[in-house]
Amino acid sequence: MRPIRLAAVALAATALLAGCGVGGAGSADSASATVQRAPELTPDQKVSITFESYNFGQAGPWSDTFNGLLTAFRAQHPNITVTAQKPQGNSSNPAADSVSSVQTQAATGNPPDVAQLGFSDMGFTVHQLGAKPLDDLVGADTVRQSFGGTHPYAAAAASLGQLDGKTYGVPFVLSTPVLYYNASLFTAAGLDPAKPPATWAEVADAAAKIKAATGKEGAYADCVTTQAKDWCLQSIVRSNGGRVLSEDRTTLQYAEPKSVQAVSTLADMVKSGASPKFSQQQAVEAFTRGDLGMILESSSLQGTFAKGAKGAGWQLRGAATPSFGSTPAVPTNSGAALYILSNDPAKQRAAWELITFLTSDQAFTDIAKNIGYLPLRTGLMNDSLKDWAAANPTTGINVDQLNRMEPWVSFPGDNYLQIRDGMMDAVEKVVLQGADAQATLTEAEQRGQALVPTGAR
Amino acid sequence: MTLIEVTTPAHTPSDGAVVLRESRVRTVLGHVVLGGLGLLCIVPVYWLYATSLRAPEDIYSLRPFPWPLSVASYAEARDTVDLPQLLLNTFVMAALIALGQLVTGLLAGYAFAAWRFRLQNTLYLVFVATWLVPFQVTMVPNYALLNQLGTLNTITGVVIPNLCSALAVIMLRSHLRSIPHELLEAARMDGRGAWSTLWTVVVPNLWPALAALGVLLFINAWNEYFWPALVLQRTNNVLQLALHSFIGPEGTQWGPLMATAGLACLPVLLLYLILQRRIVDGFVRSGLK
Repeated sequence: MRPIRLAAVALAATALLAGCGVGGAGSADSASATVQRAPELTPDQKVSITFESYNFGQAGPWSDTFNGLLTAFRAQHPNITVTAQKPQGNSSNPAADSVSSVQTQAATGNPPDVAQLGFSDMGFTVHQLGAKPLDDLVGADTVRQSFGGTHPYAAAAASLGQLDGKTYGVPFVLSTPVLYYNASLFTAAGLDPAKPPATWAEVADAAAKIKAATGKEGAYADCVTTQAKDWCLQSIVRSNGGRVLSEDRTTLQYAEPKSVQAVSTLADMVKSGASPKFSQQQAVEAFTRGDLGMILESSSLQGTFAKGAKGAGWQLRGAATPSFGSTPAVPTNSGAALYILSNDPAKQRAAWELITFLTSDQAFTDIAKNIGYLPLRTGLMNDSLKDWAAANPTTGINVDQLNRMEPWVSFPGDNYLQIRDGMMDAVEKVVLQGADAQATLTEAEQRGQALVPTGAR
Repeated sequence: MTLIEVTTPAHTPSDGAVVLRESRVRTVLGHVVLGGLGLLCIVPVYWLYATSLRAPEDIYSLRPFPWPLSVASYAEARDTVDLPQLLLNTFVMAALIALGQLVTGLLAGYAFAAWRFRLQNTLYLVFVATWLVPFQVTMVPNYALLNQLGTLNTITGVVIPNLCSALAVIMLRSHLRSIPHELLEAARMDGRGAWSTLWTVVVPNLWPALAALGVLLFINAWNEYFWPALVLQRTNNVLQLALHSFIGPEGTQWGPLMATAGLACLPVLLLYLILQRRIVDGFVRSGLK
């Protein structure tokens, strides 16, 4: 009896000392909750809101530009005070902490009022983190008008923040996959840099020639590791006519023939030596050094590549996402949207004012010039960003691809990350470790399907 | 006679030379292995400083020796983050945490070592058990508590949940038990109270252990990343967070990252070099009775 009592006392005291039992997470599907219209702020109404963005976690032009924008916003809206914050967490990429950070704060009943969250997290953001439907909050007409103006949003980009027919997020920063290539290595391998590969077969052929002639690595698609997430893989699968998730969002389809064939194409490039067995970090660094011929990558890394090319003395160029044969490629988008999470009507209205400002012509101009993000109001490239566009010709590739882009599909349910990572683990095994494509993807799909909720949205 | 005949050959000069040679070979081999391991340990530190001294255009170079040397990364780090303020903030945070843990550890260790009371062993086990509870388990409750206290986004918020350390209690209890009980009894008979005995008898005998433990706790607090990252969401006010701010979705700024990391190592390295002997002595003694 004595040992049991001792153990019980020890356990209870340990729990007390360790600080267990304080706070708690409460989450429920909030998409169906009715949201009242947020009234306009009166001229003398003071409101304070918090804005969480991973851009505040990165020193240099990223946080400087965003702090500058908040200062400009403050000048236009002296009654609204915005407190900026970065996501909590210790991931090497602060963007990866965005959802868990909001979740932790929601557990204390104090989520940020505005948050910048990835498109891949949209289902969870709406159903579990309580993102508010903007159509209800400020009116569908106001939302529609916000995407218009002198320089309207690219049509395909404007609808990326919609779920179940309602707009929850305002698309903010995104890229489509761009095939960056080292024109100097092309020349050294006897290839014409003015004619970059347009299909995956041509990519494999050019990569093999680069490797044979220069001893450098050929081509790498940053779409095959868990760390890369699945935005780019979805583009490759869709380009071959496959899908990762059915259109009604209830069935995983990445083990079906066309999807498997797309993944196998990338695996064959690794087997033939045309593509190296690199991690994402290794590939980015090798390309930046000039030791890799081509990389399919987000334009968010264009600045890093340009800096490396200048230092190491090679020429950076870009081309569109490669296709399978003559069927046009289907680009998908990476990136993030701005969501309103506040429950307070005054804060909701202030949050909408902030989002409207951050997606204005002025903000997109500043962001593109200082950080290099693609302006979603593409008309700016013929206006205030004309010089910038001329100095960054690869940006034109992204703008062209925006017109035929399909959305980066988020997986349904609370286990969306396990479903996504399970798929990417399997793809990584197939492409980089040589596992059997059909068997590995089928096994992962079956495990993932068990996590998809019935009648999922 | 037989014995002499048998044992004498072992002492011949030639055999002695063989033994000596074998001993030397073993020593040299040992030094080579240890030297190799030492080099392996130093390589990452060398690479850190080598990268920080590369010119920005050479930052991805794999050449072992950076040339031409450049301080551009240090200049970029200086222009991007407020290094003196960061060093000061981190020092204050680490010093407060180390001091708090030393004081609470000393008081708890003294209680466990100097008195006998009911549930003493159970309570001690509880302290040990908290050491085994992973930080991730207490992270959210502590965060919620700080939210209620209104100390999020402050250095105070980083310090408060770290004021008590099970490691400090365990180590100081072990040291305190090595002080003869008769000494404490003598102090009591001299008319000293428990409080007076602690500061005039126990602490002076415990300086080496307190110094060693203090340095260890300071280094632990200095290197802490996860908890400040959770609490200090609106600023990058400590060095470890500032380091992370050079990493982002648009790539890593290796030059200023390595330059800031190189500078962040220096205070702790200096502290360790100055107090190295005390640290080693303190830990060796903690195992002796």
